[in-house]
Amino acid sequence: MKVAAGILLMVAAALLQVTWASQLEIAGAFPNLVLIAVIGVTWTQGVRAGLLWACVGGILLDLNAPGPLGPHAVALLAGAYTAGFWARNLDRDRFLHPMGAVACGTVLYSLVLMGADGVLGLPIPQLDTAVPLVVAACAVNAALTLPLLGVLRWVTSRLHWEPAAA
Amino acid sequence: MVALAVLSQQSWAAGVRGTAKSALAPVESQMMSIASAVEAATAIFGDVASLRTQNQRLGAENQDLKRQLAEMNAAAIDNKELRQALDYQRSFGHRTVAAEVVGRGPDSFSRTLQIDRGTADGVQAGMIVVSGAGLVGRVREAGPHGAIVQTLADPQSRANVFLSGSGLQGTVVGGPGALHVQIEHRLGIVPTKGEWAITSGIGGGYPRGLVVGAVTSFTHSDAASVDVALIEWANDPRTLSLVIVVVDFMPS
Repeated sequence: MKVAAGILLMVAAALLQVTWASQLEIAGAFPNLVLIAVIGVTWTQGVRAGLLWACVGGILLDLNAPGPLGPHAVALLAGAYTAGFWARNLDRDRFLHPMGAVACGTVLYSLVLMGADGVLGLPIPQLDTAVPLVVAACAVNAALTLPLLGVLRWVTSRLHWEPAAA
Repeated sequence: MVALAVLSQQSWAAGVRGTAKSALAPVESQMMSIASAVEAATAIFGDVASLRTQNQRLGAENQDLKRQLAEMNAAAIDNKELRQALDYQRSFGHRTVAAEVVGRGPDSFSRTLQIDRGTADGVQAGMIVVSGAGLVGRVREAGPHGAIVQTLADPQSRANVFLSGSGLQGTVVGGPGALHVQIEHRLGIVPTKGEWAITSGIGGGYPRGLVVGAVTSFTHSDAASVDVALIEWANDPRTLSLVIVVVDFMPS
């Protein structure tokens, strides 16, 4: 049941990201719903669950991106690990913390994604293009964190998922 | 994951990778259809809100007419796009395949589109993609029933162009906000606002004569070796729903 719900969540997030999210473009960046979902799962269910669903969500994103399978998954793993580290060491009840974790996760996700693309010989954007995009993506993702985290908490409480220990 | 990335990058894995990437295309097509339906519904609600006073006066009959009008407008937009595509295919002189846009790239760094035509329809990596308005980009990868198109807005995208008024040559470089064209200096000649950037065919990457966009602004510096102009792309990637793949032109 938990696995089916997780797969459903990731497939829905990935499909929304590649079909609808680009309509919400702000300053060149659009919401990374899979990243927010992965960090939300990490925040509510723990780092192990976050890392697992980062792999699933990343493969789904890689299926829609040019190049080999894997770079988005690796980048999402970095984002999930950041969120897990943040949730373990800071007061997770404060509402600003998830937003901060998503902003930091977005930066790390972008760096790892560009690094992975660079290692694999894929084209990467120049620094003057990448920096404004990463900053805008941080703002957009952070702004969407609280409503999406609220939805995720509501879903997990309905499914009687035990929240992860701090 | 790193091992998967390395393995799936190998040339012998291209077929499996393409098949896997094509698998999501039908679902994405359905999602795009739902998105279009939601947009149509939203448009109707917007119209109803703005015309509330009039609707109160005219009553139910007017609302019914409005609904019919919205439906006809939606059909007219579809017809216009299809007619443009058909006209383009007739006048372009190349063999083409029409494709529906079923998805977009998952991140802001690579501006790509996913289309519902692949190798089974004659689409191959490297082929150019256009719309009724002008150049869209190039097929980056092709699976059996889907392909990924790198658009001109992708920061890695390059296209050689000339300007229709001044005749200046340059290279269009993709970007998230607007397309930039790096123009060679020529004494006494500067671009003017509104002139068209058209593919020059130089380099063999694109055929000559495809519209890219119109010049919106221009920056000249005596110290720089090239001038830079901003171009308003003839296509809006956010609203592209139908594209045409030119299947008998491969870049040299």
